[in-house]
Amino acid sequence: MTTTVAPPGTASTTPARAPRRARRWGDHLFVLPAVLFVAATVLYPLVFNVDLSFRDVGVAQIVNGGGEWVGWENYADQLGRDEFWHALAISLLYTGLAVAVAFALGMALAVYFNQRFPGRNLMRSLLLLAWILPTVVSANVWRWMLDGSYGLINTLLESVGLIDGDLFWLARPVPALFAVVFATAWSFTPFIMILLLAGLQGIPDTLYEAAKIDGAGAWRRFTSVTMPLLKPVNLTALLLCFISTFKTFDTVFLMTRGGPGEATMILPIYAYNEAFEYFRFDTGAVATTLMLVVPLGLSVFYFRSLRREELS
Amino acid sequence: MTATAARRRRWLSAGGVLITVAYLLPVYWMLATSLKRSSDIFSTPPDLFPSPIALTSYTETVVNHAGIGRGLLNSTVIGVGTTIVTLAVAVPAAYALARLRVRFVALLMLLFLVVQMVPAVNLALPMFVIFSRAELVNSFAGLILANCSLAIPLAITILRPYFLSVPGEVIEAAKIDGCTTWSAFLRVALPVSTPGLITVAVISFLGAWGEFVFGLALASDESMQPITVVLAGLTNSFGTRWNDLMAVSVVVALPIIVVFVFLQRYIVGGLTAGATKS
Repeated sequence: MTTTVAPPGTASTTPARAPRRARRWGDHLFVLPAVLFVAATVLYPLVFNVDLSFRDVGVAQIVNGGGEWVGWENYADQLGRDEFWHALAISLLYTGLAVAVAFALGMALAVYFNQRFPGRNLMRSLLLLAWILPTVVSANVWRWMLDGSYGLINTLLESVGLIDGDLFWLARPVPALFAVVFATAWSFTPFIMILLLAGLQGIPDTLYEAAKIDGAGAWRRFTSVTMPLLKPVNLTALLLCFISTFKTFDTVFLMTRGGPGEATMILPIYAYNEAFEYFRFDTGAVATTLMLVVPLGLSVFYFRSLRREELS
Repeated sequence: MTATAARRRRWLSAGGVLITVAYLLPVYWMLATSLKRSSDIFSTPPDLFPSPIALTSYTETVVNHAGIGRGLLNSTVIGVGTTIVTLAVAVPAAYALARLRVRFVALLMLLFLVVQMVPAVNLALPMFVIFSRAELVNSFAGLILANCSLAIPLAITILRPYFLSVPGEVIEAAKIDGCTTWSAFLRVALPVSTPGLITVAVISFLGAWGEFVFGLALASDESMQPITVVLAGLTNSFGTRWNDLMAVSVVVALPIIVVFVFLQRYIVGGLTAGATKS
């Protein structure tokens, strides 16, 4: 051990540095395809969409191009339409309710399956089946489960005396909204459970034992130990779930197509109809562009909470 | 560890089974209904178990319906195509963002995360116009491109942590042994990241298999529609033939369920990793 020995690493890295810096641009070739791909398939369409929203685009202009520049006219049209604001309100209501239900259920499941007992890992995974099932499939199954005359849900509700006679869930405004909220929450709950379980596993058992010694019951331990410590995870899960639910299209489209009337007309379906039902691609582009504000605005808070979670 | 603790665990297990069964009741009901005769689906109260078990919905409706076979084939092509393109594009990118000297790593990862927040309708609408002009509507190329738009960013966010966990010394050692950046990636980093690659392949395929909005918007021609869009169309034409509808639903869900049962450990980690890790 004499002073002639250089600290490990310094001698060997110095000569390597020059060629490595030269190779840097070669390294970028690894990322380039992905960046180009995202630019071409996401960023370009989004910019293109904004451009569409300022033009007069009907069926003829879709294939041929062109479309007269009309400035803010399409925006004025949409923002002056009650249907647009109605769709936004329904979207927020639907998303808020579905997130609330999914979060409450997901939290309950996470707390239950965080206890130690044989088979819990298998059961946790099995529950995720609800999350990865294609939404087309689950929406279809829910339509059958919620059938007014022969649906399993009505049979169950009738047997415990909650309803009397047939309830046509998807044919009446308020029940239809509850139905799509419930079907959506069913898919999202296991996902929230997994996110929260990761957070719960980070809470040391000793805290619970200390609370027990202090005489705290199960509910008190949940409100005073679990919830405060889970706060960063909760926030991340809530934001992620809100953004994903707000984007949801399939479940509602397949169960009600936005109806009955406009009772479940969420913004994604409204925008889809503008373009693909009525061939108003310009106002459809306005609706989708405006719709983007909600998830992108929330994603700022989401990334902030992600970072906070990583720091804690 | 006493007898009471053991008993408590048994009760917890029993409760867990009860919760799981109740929660997955819709999945069971789908399967049970698909195995019933047409005359049995409307019995009140409903029969919890199909008796007799009838396979007619499968052997007559699913097999004989041309649209269903075509839809399954289309979905397979779209799913496999999406998976291959996603792997080819996302894997090198994720590796570079984890292990190579690339600029703007934080910015690019942010981009790939933000992109995942974009609703599919936001892309389907302009894509329809762009694809109409490029004659990509009703083509596999168009549908695969559309599916990749969201699959690639997701794949990169899932894969980067896997490559970050490959020790840098291993890659350095390979380079000292004469490997180029490319061969170090292919021969050293890829083999040790196999679980990550499987996860991404599975999730890309399942995502494309279950995808609906792009199929609906970009494949108006029935012969090009993925099975999800075909199933949505059948809800109108089948009306209240619930046993047939559930049989088709089972067929659509089957690949997902099979993959889930056999590759579950890859999926569970990947699903949450893509959502929470940057």
